[in-house]
Amino acid sequence: MAYRLRQIEFTADGRRIVRDRDIARDAITIGRDAGNDIHLPDLALDPLHARITRRDEHHIAVAAAGTLGFTLDGANLPAATIDTRSGGELGFGGYRIAVGQEEDGATLLTIQRQGPSPGETEAIDEKRSFTLAGIMPSRRVIAWVSVLLILALFLALPIASHLLRAPGPQGRVIGDASWNPGPLSLAHHGLKDHCEACHVKAFVAVRDETCRTCHKDAHDHAPPGQLAEARLVPFLGGHLPNWLTHGFSKSGTGACADCHVEHQGQKAMVAPGSGACVDCHGDLKARLGQSRLEDASDFGTRHPQFRARIVTIPETRTFSRISLDAHPRENSGLAFSHQLHLDPRGGVARMAATIGAAKGYGSRGLQCKDCHHRGEDGVRFAPITMPRDCEACHSLAYDQVGGTFRQLHHGDVAQMEADLSAGDLHHPVVSGAVVSGRNRPGAFGVGGVYYSDFTAGPGGGDLAQRALSKGGICGECHTPRMVNGRLGVVPVTLVSRYLPDGLFDHYAHRQTRCEECHAAQHSTSSADILLPRIQQCRSCHLGEDEHKAKVPSGCVLCHAYHPSPLVRGRALWDVGMGAR
Amino acid sequence: MAGGAMHEGFLRHARFRWLKIALWSSLAAVVVYLLADIRPQPNGGSWYGYLTGTIGAGLIVWLALLGIRKRAITPGSWSLKAWTSAHVYLGLALLVIATLHTGFRFGWNVHTLAYALMLLVIASGVYGVVVYTILPTALSANREEMTQGQMIEAIAAIDRQLRDAAQPLPRAEADLVLAALGEGLFAAGLRQRLTGRYPDCATGHAIAVFSQGGDGDFARVAALLARRQTQLERMRRHLRLKSLLEVWLYVHIPTTIALMAALTAHIISVFYYW
Repeated sequence: MAYRLRQIEFTADGRRIVRDRDIARDAITIGRDAGNDIHLPDLALDPLHARITRRDEHHIAVAAAGTLGFTLDGANLPAATIDTRSGGELGFGGYRIAVGQEEDGATLLTIQRQGPSPGETEAIDEKRSFTLAGIMPSRRVIAWVSVLLILALFLALPIASHLLRAPGPQGRVIGDASWNPGPLSLAHHGLKDHCEACHVKAFVAVRDETCRTCHKDAHDHAPPGQLAEARLVPFLGGHLPNWLTHGFSKSGTGACADCHVEHQGQKAMVAPGSGACVDCHGDLKARLGQSRLEDASDFGTRHPQFRARIVTIPETRTFSRISLDAHPRENSGLAFSHQLHLDPRGGVARMAATIGAAKGYGSRGLQCKDCHHRGEDGVRFAPITMPRDCEACHSLAYDQVGGTFRQLHHGDVAQMEADLSAGDLHHPVVSGAVVSGRNRPGAFGVGGVYYSDFTAGPGGGDLAQRALSKGGICGECHTPRMVNGRLGVVPVTLVSRYLPDGLFDHYAHRQTRCEECHAAQHSTSSADILLPRIQQCRSCHLGEDEHKAKVPSGCVLCHAYHPSPLVRGRALWDVGMGAR
Repeated sequence: MAGGAMHEGFLRHARFRWLKIALWSSLAAVVVYLLADIRPQPNGGSWYGYLTGTIGAGLIVWLALLGIRKRAITPGSWSLKAWTSAHVYLGLALLVIATLHTGFRFGWNVHTLAYALMLLVIASGVYGVVVYTILPTALSANREEMTQGQMIEAIAAIDRQLRDAAQPLPRAEADLVLAALGEGLFAAGLRQRLTGRYPDCATGHAIAVFSQGGDGDFARVAALLARRQTQLERMRRHLRLKSLLEVWLYVHIPTTIALMAALTAHIISVFYYW
């Protein structure tokens, strides 16, 4: 029995070459070494890789010579027995040996190279291999994946969530945090997860009415028509067209959001600078012909003189705004001399010193603060009242019963008339006979406190009329007049805010002495307006951008866009003296 | 790969016409930014923001169109070279315009995402211009007139000789040669290709053993391994340069597409929540 080795090879042009060789031995060797019966030049094989030994007519045994095995029908084995009638396929490295039996009984071993052995160059896709395409993920795939991710997360999700959310405040929008261009201001911080609270409608800018759902008491700066007219942007002799300033669903100039810009960081909302005011007020005359306001663009260089709001007709409490440059005179209905009361060597000073600590007066006579008390807000002064600020000297006592003095009721002329004409005076407050040497015109002192003279004169006469006459207890300060046929006085109106459109904070100026701004010690008449002029303010305050100024001052230092009680408070702050 | 001269060509095209246009545009954008009184602080939602935003978005779309335009080579003042020149310089001007558009306000949001992607695209583009200017010379010097096919064939030829020469070697040495032969020429990952460092090179390991001496078959194999190493190094340098020339496109192009998506999300979202 022989082995028939059948070597099958292919030429370069694909032609098949078959060579048979018989070996008439029972044992043959297989290996890389050329001395083997079956020489397989494959580096993966050992020089002597395996032996084939005949067992009987139909069986051969294959055994590996070294540690490396072989495959039989795909299974890796160190040794195997093959029935040549049924055959089998042996694998050695890159070679396959098919086992079979020839008709003459010889064992047929068909040796064939199966593809390249390891290390042999395979066909190379040159274009692809030399570029990164072979080892990198496809650019197209990277691009599409990122596009889909970005559009899904940052566009589709928030929009879908916005459109499909439950109606009402409990409906949340998912994913719109990625749209937030910056943190909300401190005041609106609570809305940070509720974009839709302000951004109510898609593709429509935040509307004023949305702001007003919370800010119900924000007042308009001026009548809407005037505002709209003033805000038209002058351009080439006409105006910029509306669609440019209001188009594309933009709220346009004058909207809340135009000045109150959100998403600027988690801090107090940035106040609009003076520029927003100057836009209109810089050339208001040109924009709004009928305006009585003068143009203003800079406190230091272009701001009108203060126009004080003063009482010109006290009977009807009529006010007028008059520039301080016009040397206005006020008629408040009260006769008063600041000079008389503040003169450190005058009688008032001595009287205040005598009364002294009982009324909070110092030894150097009356000071401003003795009558002008700080108001509750600390910004302005409490209104002057007769009982607190005047009556310590200007006593209204008219009769003494035992140790008690009967007092007239300030502010009630009819009551005064009734009290004094009742004729039940026990010990009318009387003359200087009690204490002498401390007279002042028409006044007398008793027990260190000054009284008027309520004894009937030599010719009798009406005490009430005497009180109201010039030099009388009332007429000393008030102007008598007949009201509906009865005795009365002209009502007193003491203005607490001469500049109602500005916010002046006395507290901020507390280190300045009063007389530096208010020339009260030289004022002999209540008609004097004791306000400083703008020139005086400018010694410290100049425009917002004037960094040489002690206090660079923008519009909003004194003015507010939205009129509020604090700034524009005529009704709240102007208090008549009549009832006090 | 074309030589360096061509790349100088697109940078210097028409006496730096597009460089000048880009510089003047950027300067104008900066001057207007400084003069514009944007309250309370510059941002994308101001008139200046809308203006620069529109210009920037238009630029991005136009710049991205190079990807389509480059597939059609035409001469003239709108030649591909002119287009590429404009692409480079206007892309740099976009950096200025888009940055001013942001008003220097950034956050963790889709708007800054779009800006960051744009920065990535521009940075990778700058890298691309630089390597296109520098590397082609090195690439052709390394090749020494060999084509890529010849490089592969050179190694294949050595490998065939090596396989024959190694037949008589004992198991251990045969395995070393086999490992060297089995090393795929293009199997290296991105990092190895970019750095050109192959610390586990099987050919190198085999040389380390075979260079210890020997004669006959050993000496033949050692010589063949050394020749293989030389060819391998040239090929790896070639791959490295090619990778350096190409890798930026894997950032530039997908990021451009991602940028278009982010830009779309940015624009729609700001007007959705106006």
